Amino acid sequence: MAEQHFVVIGNGPAGNEAALTLREHAPEARVTIISRERGGCFRPHFLPRFVVGKLAEEDLYLSSAVSYRDKGIKLRSGQEVVSVHPDKRKIILDHKEIISFDGLIIAVGGRPRIPENLMVFGDLMLTLKTVQDAKVWIRKLNETDTVLMIGGDLTSLSFTKQLVDVGKKVCFALNDDAFWPLRFDRYLYNQVAGRLRENGVEVLEYSRIRGMSLLSDGMIEVNTDYEKVRAGLVGAFFGLKPDIAFLARSGLKIDRGILVDEYLHAGFEGVYATGDCAQVFHPDLRDYWVSIGHDNAVALGRTAALNLIGERVRAEPDMACIFDVQGVQVNSSWWMEF
Amino acid sequence: MSAVDVTIEICGMSGDGTIAAGGLLNGALSAAGFSVLAFDSYPAEIRGFGRCVTRTRAGESEMMALADKTSILISLDDEQSRSRIPFLRDDAVVLFDNRPVVYVGEGQSIAAHLEPKMNPFGIPFGDLAAEVSGARRGRNLTALGALAALFGLPGNAFHGAVKRKFQPKGERVLDANLKCFDAGYQYCRDTFKDRLERISRLGSRDKTGERELLSGNAAISLGALDAGLRLYFGYPITPATPIMEYLAKELPKKGGAVMQMEDEIASIGGVLGSFYAGKRAMTATSGPGFALMTELIAHATVAEIPAVIVDAQRGGPATGLPTKTEQSDLHAAVFGGPGDSARIVLAPTNVSECYYYTARSFGLAEKYQTPVIVLTDFFLDNRVENILPPKNRPEDIENGNVYPDPSKHGVYRRFEDTKTGISPRSIPGTEGFIFRTTGLEHTEEGFPDYSSANHMKMTEKRHRKIEGALTDLPEPVEFSPEGNLDLGVVTWGSTFGAALEAVQRAQGEGLKVGAMKISSIYPYHSDSIRSFMMRCNDILFPELNYEGQLANLIGHLFNKEVLRFNRVTGLPMSATDIYVRIRAIVE
Amino acid sequence: MEGNIVYSTDPEDFYYVDINVPCQSACPADTNIPAYIRALFEGEYQNSYDMNRAANILPGVLGRVCSRPCEDKCRHGEAELGLPVNICHIKRAASDFRKGKAASPFNALPGIDKKVGIIGSGPAGLAAAHDLACLGFSVTIYEAMGRPGGMLRYGIPEFRLPRQVLDIEIEAVLRLGVAIETGVSVGRDMDVDELLVKHDALLSATGCYRPIPLNVPGESLEGVHSGLEFMMKVCKGENVRLGDRILVIGAGFTAFDCARTALRIGAKEVSICLRRTEEDLRVTGDEILETKKEGVKIESLMLAKEILGKQSVKGVTFFRTRPGKNRDDGKRDVTPIAGSEFVLETDAVIVATGQRPGPFEAPGEKDENGLIIADREFFRASRKGLYVTGDYLTGPSTVIEAVAMGRRAAHRIARDLTGKAFYEKAVCLKDCQPTDRKRPWDFLPRQEMPTLTPVEKRFEIPDIEVETGYLKEQSREEAKRCYLCYLHYEIDMERCIYCRYCIDVAPRDCIKLVNGVETNDDGAIIGFVETSEWEKVNAVIIDNKRCIRCGECVRVCPMDCISVTKVELVDRKI
Repeated sequence: MAEQHFVVIGNGPAGNEAALTLREHAPEARVTIISRERGGCFRPHFLPRFVVGKLAEEDLYLSSAVSYRDKGIKLRSGQEVVSVHPDKRKIILDHKEIISFDGLIIAVGGRPRIPENLMVFGDLMLTLKTVQDAKVWIRKLNETDTVLMIGGDLTSLSFTKQLVDVGKKVCFALNDDAFWPLRFDRYLYNQVAGRLRENGVEVLEYSRIRGMSLLSDGMIEVNTDYEKVRAGLVGAFFGLKPDIAFLARSGLKIDRGILVDEYLHAGFEGVYATGDCAQVFHPDLRDYWVSIGHDNAVALGRTAALNLIGERVRAEPDMACIFDVQGVQVNSSWWMEF
Repeated sequence: MSAVDVTIEICGMSGDGTIAAGGLLNGALSAAGFSVLAFDSYPAEIRGFGRCVTRTRAGESEMMALADKTSILISLDDEQSRSRIPFLRDDAVVLFDNRPVVYVGEGQSIAAHLEPKMNPFGIPFGDLAAEVSGARRGRNLTALGALAALFGLPGNAFHGAVKRKFQPKGERVLDANLKCFDAGYQYCRDTFKDRLERISRLGSRDKTGERELLSGNAAISLGALDAGLRLYFGYPITPATPIMEYLAKELPKKGGAVMQMEDEIASIGGVLGSFYAGKRAMTATSGPGFALMTELIAHATVAEIPAVIVDAQRGGPATGLPTKTEQSDLHAAVFGGPGDSARIVLAPTNVSECYYYTARSFGLAEKYQTPVIVLTDFFLDNRVENILPPKNRPEDIENGNVYPDPSKHGVYRRFEDTKTGISPRSIPGTEGFIFRTTGLEHTEEGFPDYSSANHMKMTEKRHRKIEGALTDLPEPVEFSPEGNLDLGVVTWGSTFGAALEAVQRAQGEGLKVGAMKISSIYPYHSDSIRSFMMRCNDILFPELNYEGQLANLIGHLFNKEVLRFNRVTGLPMSATDIYVRIRAIVE
Repeated sequence: MEGNIVYSTDPEDFYYVDINVPCQSACPADTNIPAYIRALFEGEYQNSYDMNRAANILPGVLGRVCSRPCEDKCRHGEAELGLPVNICHIKRAASDFRKGKAASPFNALPGIDKKVGIIGSGPAGLAAAHDLACLGFSVTIYEAMGRPGGMLRYGIPEFRLPRQVLDIEIEAVLRLGVAIETGVSVGRDMDVDELLVKHDALLSATGCYRPIPLNVPGESLEGVHSGLEFMMKVCKGENVRLGDRILVIGAGFTAFDCARTALRIGAKEVSICLRRTEEDLRVTGDEILETKKEGVKIESLMLAKEILGKQSVKGVTFFRTRPGKNRDDGKRDVTPIAGSEFVLETDAVIVATGQRPGPFEAPGEKDENGLIIADREFFRASRKGLYVTGDYLTGPSTVIEAVAMGRRAAHRIARDLTGKAFYEKAVCLKDCQPTDRKRPWDFLPRQEMPTLTPVEKRFEIPDIEVETGYLKEQSREEAKRCYLCYLHYEIDMERCIYCRYCIDVAPRDCIKLVNGVETNDDGAIIGFVETSEWEKVNAVIIDNKRCIRCGECVRVCPMDCISVTKVELVDRKI
């Protein structure tokens, strides 16, 4: 019998941990990571500090790209999966290469979420998810001192703190979709707004974004229900949404993430989803939960890998960290981290 | 920021337009002001089967050798290109077609084999070409466009190269190719705009004078033409054939003629006949053909007839490795043929020298009435360098013949034993200067004479003549600091560039090493070679042959056993390999 | 050799069209899609429109609201080839830019002295009326509502289907001499027996107007609306007030229409509540995106358990659901999770979970729901002279299916009344030249439908059409993208010299070296036995299922041995 081939899609904290766990527990198997990102696994939550220059680029990385070879893991970096056929146990890459697998762990994480009504302004707003994004911020921050943050997710709050720290003038529009992954309410708004103001951030009155335009002097003008605000840079921070468009029509169950059971199993033999892109059913909660944050991702990555090689480990969120977000339970240490 | 030094490879199946793309790339890089050294390899067999690879090294300083590792690979055929992966740098950029005609299985795309730090750029070469020109054929041009965009190379330099190549084929073809280039360029500009900053930008350099792209073979041909070549005789053989092809096109324009003979014996015969009659002629061949010529070469030494012969070495012995490079004809060039048949052997080390040594050899052959062998090899013949345009020097055109003094009218001795050994030569048919000539040993008058005294005298005269030629031959060149050296590297031919690069690298790291370039293989400049050797603790001969043929020839000049570094891989010498050897010896 | 035309009714040829012209075979009405796209490309807007109309009667309407089964099958949408052609938008362009009237492309036949009554003037009824009138029957439509159009007028919001477009196309049907009596409810104002006496045949095309309830407690509370009733009220111009927060329960076009309409009549927060997930929706992607842009939230995996409130609705209790396996009909099973109940507060609930036919007084056999039983092939009810078609017969379907059913029923009635068939389905084979399409056109990006922006404008004038339509140039660009799959490429093996130049230039694996072909019982080619061993190659064959009709092979063939045939499924007059 040919050796087993385990494929992990995604090389974030969850995917990386899954691959390492597979390597450790299935020494005979072939392990392949396919990652759209170039280079090794980096820590997204370090990005704010990298942008303001408190961290060197190499410190972002959990492991260097080269070290995978030493570990016996094939890392295909800069390569993208365009479709998954869990019934046929095949995946297809963007460059039309078909790869067969015996086991698959999908850990693609998320990409910055832009609400549909703001999509038309996509070109004017920056996000912060990849090292590449960070470099764009670094370049553009050289040219301006004013930043308008829209949204209000975990990244934006820690990023704001860093920006203020290095003397940038930050204005914050906590709006409709603010506090993702938490559901908006007045209490939360007041809490967060207060904290931000203490830190010297100008917080706009709660309102919707109506328009955005680039002025000739490189400033961006943003219209809200009540006022016009100008800033050199506008950041969009509406949380992440699972990056799973490529799974459409794969037969996998897709909601906000890939629907999996408490063992992270996705309904096809040998196919698991983990990390931010998994929407996990919880029998006690009788509901689904999704997870954000680095530590949660690592734990889930490990769980998926162990289950793939035959163990039966339940993915357990810390109940104290579960929040209800628009009907989905989110496991996050968000509040504590902020 | 370190100086630009980049090696770009294009790999595909023959028929993919690989070699054509390589040519355009060289042209464009040259126009952009880089120093360029390129070397293609393609299948020996009939066109249509096999792998083609072009390698181009470009940089700011003068490029002398190929690099071991490739920085940028353009794959026009993933199956072929896979074989190139071991030659890629860890951080190489790989451009490949991410929209092949059919889906492929795992491992059939080059992307499957890249190391994590490498940078794959999937670009739909074929689709882009089809999109703008209607056919996938132009995908080599889209690939070049992609390269130019990714590395910030000036598009107009490529446009110029494309125009030069395709203008003769008509506007439609030219237009299609330009469109393909632009499509690749624009695609990458749009698609990878946020990745561009990650890879080093090459840009363009200030030109130091208008450079000209020439292959070794072209330079040889041009040198011969400029020196007033009248007749070329030849029989096709790799890697010398391009010389005949070039001259077949150009020589008739200058009133000369190219004649393809039935074999190499006839070819050298034609050359001797021409020179005998006072006209400059040449032949070019490779090892197997050269072997056939040796009898007539020896004949020319004894009959004192000028001749110019290019021996473009390839892998031997005999038919050997027709499309691989080697430096194993040195013994044959110096000693090949019956008897003590001293002749002049020159070995150029770069494209520029291919021109100048060839041009010079006609005058030398005439003056010393002897065959002059220009010893090149596959890597030198087929490499392309952008050199300062060669200058046609008057001394190369000038007739080298030493004519007899008019006072000798009627008493002319064709093989007179002069002080220099050079006997004035009359051209047959000159009234009062009629002479006999023969391949038999002969007297000063040209009568056959087998007496011991005569043979002793005439053999010595002919060798004295050749020794005397040293003053007209290129001196060895040293590349070393003053004082004593731990190691001296003595090198010749196409290997020189790699050796010098290795030595300079070692010098840069503080090692006390030096290099010496030997261009005149025979006769050789014993004094200057010896004085260099005496400054060195050890002497190393890196050569692309097994026997160490130059070491065998001149190693005795050193006071102890010389060291050798012999490679018969069929590939050009690697600077890194020599460097490693240098370090090992010195430490 | 243009002009050599053969009509075939060989099953082999029907099979060929079915497999190789995917768009036409996916269309319930067999619209000759490549032909009308080609006509539009040539600037023949009227011709393009007429070709549509010959098959689907309502091109202007369908060009906006069709469910587009063709686009799912479009070869351009195959994995490696990009996105499907926007067939529907091209249809609309033909309608937008034509100069002539929406007259019948059929030549009216001499009058036949037979009368047919049709109940209902929705798409099925209109289509049937159209075809019967063209064949020479005298037709009268009985419509219960005040104006004709049925669900098109009362079920689809005006911002998706401007009424002017609808009126023109209905008018075109009526202009054929079709009589219509509106405001007449059969079963209430007159009975079926009476109509059966007046007519030689009576076709019931009354559609599905009975909402399917959720069957949960609280459904009768104030503020709970059925989707269809809500839409009908709004379409009739009635003043409907909902409140600020609205939950729409349902997953079809109606649910989306209701949600978007709710925003237009003043609702602030609208959510569509799905039993399954967004992934399982059958609504087009553009529709979902526009809906979200307007601010509607889509929430998933929830099943209503109870509607809460004393007198008026206050909220809905939902179960969380777990999706299961895909059923045979392509829908996914869902099961509610016991104990997972949660409550969403709301001011109004719109239940848009579907509708079904409502019973009406008619003689003959009925099923347990009181619906007339009829067969789907012959459309006949048990009572002689009574026929049934459209959604009433099939259950809720799409406009294009209803049109197709209406037309087929019409031809059945015509045949029954006269004893002869007027048209038959045939495959038309016509020699033709290779396409003049340019290979670069295969790479043109899909032209997206322009929509009204900024979104706020849509609320200022609630009836304003959201999709603003292609510009002429856009429609031509999009038309260029069509591969024209009705062209069939074939290598003449008698003349082929196996040089394989064609394979060298092939854009994908569409030309094959084969040892043999596999055929079905009808003799149709269903597969190829490919071989890579040269000795075993018996033919070089173009696989028209993979072929994108780029014509490169024809251009390089040194033997000129590749022929092109136009293959179209047509209604052939007998």
